[in-house]
Amino acid sequence: MSAADPLDDLDHAVLSRLSSIYGRVDPPPPDLNDRVMFAVALDDLLVESLDVEVARLGYDQLVGSGARAAERIRTITFDAASRTVMMTIADRPDNLVRIDGWLAPGEAVRVELRLPEPSAARSAYADDTGRFVFEGVPHGLAQVLVHPPSGTDRPVLVTPSLVL
Amino acid sequence: MSIEADTPAPPNRSAWLGECFERAREGDRAALRAIVQELNPLLWHVARSQGLSREDAADVVQTAWLELIRSLREIRTAAALTSWLVTITRREAWRVRTRSQRQLPDSDGILGGLADPGPEAAHGLLTSERDRVLWRHFQQLPERCQQLLRIVAQVDRPDYAEVAQAMGMPHGSIGPTRGRCLAKLRQSLLDDPEWSRQ
Repeated sequence: MSAADPLDDLDHAVLSRLSSIYGRVDPPPPDLNDRVMFAVALDDLLVESLDVEVARLGYDQLVGSGARAAERIRTITFDAASRTVMMTIADRPDNLVRIDGWLAPGEAVRVELRLPEPSAARSAYADDTGRFVFEGVPHGLAQVLVHPPSGTDRPVLVTPSLVL
Repeated sequence: MSIEADTPAPPNRSAWLGECFERAREGDRAALRAIVQELNPLLWHVARSQGLSREDAADVVQTAWLELIRSLREIRTAAALTSWLVTITRREAWRVRTRSQRQLPDSDGILGGLADPGPEAAHGLLTSERDRVLWRHFQQLPERCQQLLRIVAQVDRPDYAEVAQAMGMPHGSIGPTRGRCLAKLRQSLLDDPEWSRQ
């Protein structure tokens, strides 16, 4: 009954019980499948095989007192090899949010904010310094895409989904 | 074979996963969802076993899937798919962990960074005596063994060796033979009269 023996029924029973225990003590978040599906449901990218660069969450920080929802501001950055996307997300009194974003390095390109269906995606155009704004965005899942200037073959930058 | 979003994997999981993967590559959204549902628990535990908070782990799992979409054409088989995703998740988890060690604690705080509930926290969730005995002995294992068995418990027998390898474990850690970690756990269980009595 040593380490060099083949696995037997007891081994499998132990592993299966362990899996079931972990399903209770540390289950994945209930919305993890939906978040993943939302993040990867880039139909045009899948179908047209566009080149994609995946940005990573750099940091995500809540700033301000947080005592009142309207005062809460969150700063979030996504890093990729080609550039960094920084955003501050501010709660508005009407229960929507405002997103102020900067691209570094700055460039006048189209920034797309994907929202879950049936909401249509929104577009904003960054100015030469890379600033862009999305006003009146509902809470919930969102994903940012930074499109390359038309006529170039650079990849589209995509972020993981974030919960606004 | 039609792939419904909520269909659980059939006994021949690997063949089924391979078929879903083929369809997902052709842009079949339901097939992609089936793969995500099937492999997310595994990737979740890979990220969590590397010491990430729940929020960071959820993010890392998403990043791994986004990287997969980018690399769909490079991956040939379903078996390669699983170990590819495990490798990427582990690499991303490592990256996030080193980053968060450099930074001051954020709103997630030090507590949010704790990887696992301790045995006490888990106790209330484990209603069967046998679960409690197993959990107690499992917690006595070296950390590397806990990581390995936690991950391997999420996959099917034929994938043990490959997934262990993707976790950076030495050859022979588990599959086709038992390996040192499982042998140790098994021996301590068999030596415990509380386990044998059940």
